[in-house]
Order: sequence, then C-alpha cells, then structure tokens
Amino acid sequence: MSATAAQRFLQEAAVKSADLVHREIIRRGMESYDAAHLKGRARIKDWEAAREKCQKIKREAINHLDRYLVQFEQQVIARGGHVFWAANGQEACSYVKDVATRRGVRTVVKSKSMVTEEIHLGPVLEEAGIKVWETDFGEFIVQLRNEPPYHIVTPCMHLNRRQIAELFREKLQTEIESDDPAYLMTVARRKLREAFFSAEMGISGANFLVADVGAIAISTNEGNGRLCTSLPRIHVVVTGIEKIIPHLEDLAVLWPVLATSGTGQGITTYSTLIGGARQPGEADGPEEFHVVLVDNGRSRLLADPEQREVLHCIRCGACLNICPVFRHIGGHTYGTTYPGPIGSVLTPHLGGIAEFKHLSYASSLCGACTSVCPVKIDLHHHLLQNRRNATSAGATKMSERLAFRAWRFAMVHPAIYAFGGWTMRKVLRAMYGLGLAGSIADPMRPWNRHRTPVPLASESFRARWRKELGAN
Amino acid sequence: MAQTDNPSREQILNQIRSGLRMEVPEARAICSNRQIFEAVTNPLQRFQQECVANLMECTLTANSESSALQLAKALQSLPAGEVFVQEHPSLRKLTALAASDRSIRWSSEGAPGEASQATVTLAEALIAQTGSILVTASCGGRGASIVAPCHIIYATVDQLVPDLQTALSYLARERKLDKNSFACVISGSSRTADIEKILVQGAHGPRRLVVILETGK
Repeated sequence: MSATAAQRFLQEAAVKSADLVHREIIRRGMESYDAAHLKGRARIKDWEAAREKCQKIKREAINHLDRYLVQFEQQVIARGGHVFWAANGQEACSYVKDVATRRGVRTVVKSKSMVTEEIHLGPVLEEAGIKVWETDFGEFIVQLRNEPPYHIVTPCMHLNRRQIAELFREKLQTEIESDDPAYLMTVARRKLREAFFSAEMGISGANFLVADVGAIAISTNEGNGRLCTSLPRIHVVVTGIEKIIPHLEDLAVLWPVLATSGTGQGITTYSTLIGGARQPGEADGPEEFHVVLVDNGRSRLLADPEQREVLHCIRCGACLNICPVFRHIGGHTYGTTYPGPIGSVLTPHLGGIAEFKHLSYASSLCGACTSVCPVKIDLHHHLLQNRRNATSAGATKMSERLAFRAWRFAMVHPAIYAFGGWTMRKVLRAMYGLGLAGSIADPMRPWNRHRTPVPLASESFRARWRKELGAN
Repeated sequence: MAQTDNPSREQILNQIRSGLRMEVPEARAICSNRQIFEAVTNPLQRFQQECVANLMECTLTANSESSALQLAKALQSLPAGEVFVQEHPSLRKLTALAASDRSIRWSSEGAPGEASQATVTLAEALIAQTGSILVTASCGGRGASIVAPCHIIYATVDQLVPDLQTALSYLARERKLDKNSFACVISGSSRTADIEKILVQGAHGPRRLVVILETGK
C-alpha cells in the first residue's frame, strides 16, 4: 500500500515536470500571482506585525479550542440553528445526506469548500440521487472534468482558456463561440443561475467560525457563496473545527491578510458573516441553518506540541504558490486533498504516516513556504519532523533501514569507509568508461538517467587533505 | 431550542481537552506593538480612491434632490425591467423624487426577483480603508446585494468609518449579528480570475456597484 501512493507520486511528478504546456500555464499563473501578492503586501504598513498578529489570534483560538467551539455552538443553537459534531468524514456525510433526504432535497448548490473535498461529500450526495452543482467557476470547471481541485484557492489554474472552451463545448451542449474568459464566465453563469434558483439546499464551507458572535465568515469574490447561502431554503456549513477564531474584531486583520496571501487583494470582494437562518422580518434567506464541525483527525494533532500550529492554517494557498516543487509538479501529482507544503505536512496526520510519508521529501527544504505563511507556520521544519516521525515509527522500508545500518557501520570504521570509497570510484570509472552511465547497472542511475554524470574525484577527500590542506 | 443528535460531541471535546493538556511554548513576540495598517487620515478621500481601485462608481451629492437625480441617471442607463428597493422611508422619498417609471418591488414584498435589473439599498456603514460597503439583512435582505447585475447604494457621509476595525467594533457593539442573520463587507463588483488569472467583472453577482454618497455640501 505504502509503495503505491509513493510510486504513483514519483511517476506523475516525472511526467508533469516534463510537460511543457503545463509548465507554461503554471509559470504565467504564478508570475501574475507573485506580482499581485507583492503589491498587496506593500499596501499593508507592517506585514511582519500583521503575520504576528494573525499567529497570535490563531494560537489563542487553538489553545482554547474546546471553549471557543462550545461558545460558538451555544450562540448558533440559541438562534435556532443546528450544530453537528462529526468525528470523521463518514459521520459528516451521512448527517448532510440525512438532512437532504429528510427535507426532500433534489438539487444542491455548493460553494467552494476544501473540507467537503476532504470528506468526499459530493459523491455521497450524488449516490443518494441528489444533483450537486459546484458553483465556484473554477470548481465548476474541474467538476465537469471529473477532477479534484488542482489548487486550494484557484482550482483550475492548470487549464488555459482554450482547454476550458473545449470542455464547455463537449460537456454543456451549447454553442461556444469564443474562448474569451469573460464570455466563458457568462456561459457558466447562465447555466449556474438555473441551479441557484431551483436548489433546495446550499452547502458552503467557512473561512472562519467567529466564537463571540456565533457566526461563520465566508470570503468569496464571485458571489457564488452569497447565492448559495441566500436562495435555497436550507443552508449547511461544512467546516473543520480548527477554523474557530475568538472575536469578531480579529477579522480586521485576518480578512486583509487572507486576501493578500490568497490573491493579492486588499480584501476579498464579499466578506460575509452568517449567524443563522432568516429571522422574522427579513426579506429572504434560508429557513434552516446547519453547521457541521468536522474533526477527522484534527483533534489528534493538538496532542503533538511540535505540530499543533499546523491547525493555525487559514488555507490561503500562499505556500503552494511559492513552492518550487509545486511549481514543477503541479497540484494533482500530490494525490491529496491539500497539495503543496501545507498538504505535505498535514496529510500524513489525516491519512496515515505510512502511506504519505513520501510527501515529507517533496520539498527542497528551502523554507520559502515558511517565509510567506501569513500565520507563521514553520512548515519546512514540520516536514523534517514528519521524516523523523516516519523513521521512528518504523514506517521505512527494510532496504532503507539496511542501507543506513551499513552506512553507520562504515562511518565508525574508517578503514572500511575508505575501502568502500575506493571501490566505488573504481567501479564507477570503469562503468562510465564503458558508456554505462545512467544504465540499469549504474548505482547512480536515479541521478545519471537524465543528467551528465558528475566528474569523479581521482582520490579520496582524506588523501587530498593529507597531501595538500593538512600540510599547512 | 433546536435539538440535534450529537453522538460524537463529547468524544471530540474530550480528545481536544486531553490534547490541550500538552503545553506548547509561546513564540517570542517581536513586533507586537507595531501599527499594522497605515492610519486613515482623510476618510472621504481614501474611500473615493479605494472605490476606483475596486472598480466601483462613487458619486458625491449635496442633498437628496441631487441624490435622486443620480439615482434617476443610474436607472436610466439600465435595460428595461423591474427594480428591487429596500423598504425604508428615505428610499421611498428618494425613488419618488427620482420619478422613474420603472416598476418597483419593495423588500417588504419579499426577495428580489431573478430578473431584477437593479437593487437599491442603504448601507450600515462605508469603510474608507478598503472602499467597502457594510450591509446587513436589514438592508433589504441577503439577495438585495447579490442577485441583480447592478447594486445602487444610497449613503450619507456620516456613515463613513475609517477602517475595518471600527466597522467590526460597530457590528459587535450594536449586537448587529443578533438582530440580523447576515452581514457582508462588499468591496467591489462580483469578479473572478479563475481563467489564466484574467480579471472578469460580473461573475455571479453585480457587475456594477454605484454609491450615491450624500455629503450635505
């Protein structure tokens, strides 16, 4: 099992990093993000102070998670809303499915929510005969392609306009006249508007759960999140327990920082707060309001003092965008709901260290992710800790353990180490001489397969040291 | 009080509590007292600048007559069809002054129709720092600021607050989220950049946001 996910990852990474069309699309996307992000950061007077403030807010929330969750719950219930605590994805999905079937729901409109991807809510509802529409433009596109989102903020950033126009032509049974982005949006808008006005249930995520006022906060630019939570008669929020923040006023920093890190905007177009169903006297809004609080392995992370701060993540996507590995292999290669550095740190905790330990190595440890994280999560060190944890949990392969044992033996026996080095130099020289570099017989094959071999030293470092450097 | 069957609630809370017993050392605060955002010195000027950046239209008017004139102008520029207006004496007065011959659906009659050409509402506050409009469910409901392709906001200059912090404190102090099921900080027209990061205005919500801001001078 463990080999499968890791092998698939390596295979796809090799294919994707050699895909020049993909590279060009990502390069252009990331270049425009970089420019917007830098401009956005310049608008904030003291970016470092802002990051520290956000870190402080999230630390306070996570370190008193029980208290704030109960406070949030009480407020929602007092206004007539429902709060459901789901220990895992299955509990969350069956709760939503039960509400939907009980209320005769046939159509669901969804706004973007990574937690619903994590627990695979869409397929569960579809199996129950309920039509689910992803209404975020990017999500709508990847749903048509039967693909998971490529990126947690911009789900279809791996596609260009030509590919999207082609997709619409094939899937929407309408005449597609051009591949102009504005035109394509109009086509999707028309299609989704029917869904918005006919759906009985809207499902959204939440960017924050505000404890002191008992409201959820959702940030969307398109307004699809607004329609999903305004028009259908039932609104279900599916979110992780770690999204809690203590006070409404915390959003005065969190909203601008999330927008800046996510897209470079000063603030997201619609920063919405919802505390429940429609109140008497209000013109519109759902009649029912449900919040599903998903644990799914999160509470276990609290007991890990080294990595508790991983729960501070506000899912802005900045670490994905800056990561040199993500930029080359793309989002789908990770094979996880959350790709990029945060996904590589988090997935082993949610999905098991044995199956996902290879993700800890999908990093050059350059630390770029840590440097941009708006809540100051020490991402690259957490990757190192995951490597250590996988090893001490005995999740490594027998061959790897034997190799390290042999290496350790050689390190404490200098004569054997020297002999090993000498043999290796001789063997490699002979092999390169025969033109076998990179061949199946070459022990350096993983490197030499795609590269010119590194020139071999004529003698060992210790010999040179004795002769030249040690002489002084 | 709503009853929801919650078999896992205690188990999750217990796991959280037992996890939290592990102490995590505090990080050293380096810049705790530093000012994060530039203070807004001239709110009106800042608001107008940010409106331009957010691709919103903001017109300053001296009195309700000239506000009505601006409203009439905005309505004239729209295709034929119904307009949705928040039920409020000031908007009754304004629409009467604007004397448009369009049919009006008032928020007291329910939600805006799918084919509304525009919505006209008040705001709870205007935020200079981000060029935003703060609305709640009292401003004609939830659909009033999202369903139609054009949203017209009628506000007065005394509603202008310098920054988000002030606006959120106002929401908290006045217990606005107890009295309303919904609030939203709107900062520009509905948009997307999902295709090749190219900005497209008018995604699912309004393409146009028009702020008629009465300054009284």
